[in-house]
Amino acid sequence: MAMAAFEYRQAEAVRNAFARRGVRYLFLGKSGAILLGFPDTTQDADLFVQRSRENGRALVAALRELGFDLTDNQAAEIEQGKDFVQLKNGPFDLDLIFAPDGIERFEEAWERRLEVEGFPVCHIDDIIASKAATNRVKDREALPRLRAFREYWRLKQESQASE
Amino acid sequence: MNQWEGIPRDWLEEFEAAARRPLELRMRYAFLRTYKPVLDDASFRAFETTADYRRWCEENLPSWLGYGSV
Repeated sequence: MAMAAFEYRQAEAVRNAFARRGVRYLFLGKSGAILLGFPDTTQDADLFVQRSRENGRALVAALRELGFDLTDNQAAEIEQGKDFVQLKNGPFDLDLIFAPDGIERFEEAWERRLEVEGFPVCHIDDIIASKAATNRVKDREALPRLRAFREYWRLKQESQASE
Repeated sequence: MNQWEGIPRDWLEEFEAAARRPLELRMRYAFLRTYKPVLDDASFRAFETTADYRRWCEENLPSWLGYGSV
């Protein structure tokens, strides 16, 4: 099982392998917020993946290329697009989320996505909506700071646009 | 009027400091790895629905991990 923290070079490996296979996905959760500049800590990389048979097949191929040791049954569950898949059988841990709380459709999140150094990231509004909808203790605790960051991020964007 | 006035000062300082760091460094500071009981004890889990996953967290994970409902 992976015990090393997720690192930039691993995020690059995900980005590049997924791009080669044409996987449609978005960084979500705190890992997405961190890509947008949110200073906080987390343990997992959360990926919101478009649910379709074709995308599922591409995803499994990319995961195997990255070194995830998937049985045929596990691969089938990913291809099928089960709502939530937790992977700890590769070089780093990944959570695959096909149906996050608080976001109705992948396509809508995709339209609102942001790109950071080639990483596709859910919009900060979607990250917050998802965290708020989970109603978990750890997410509730993170929300005030995350909302303050959204305000900071929004003002920075406006400031940069007016320059 | 200070445009940042709605943001607590200490948080603002942290946001500003993070904005000055390259992404690679931000990620090095952000991603940690510690053992989480039960959660880390299986190499693969798949849940049919997100609700199933939330329920499993409620019923199986120690409450102090924070995965339970408010």
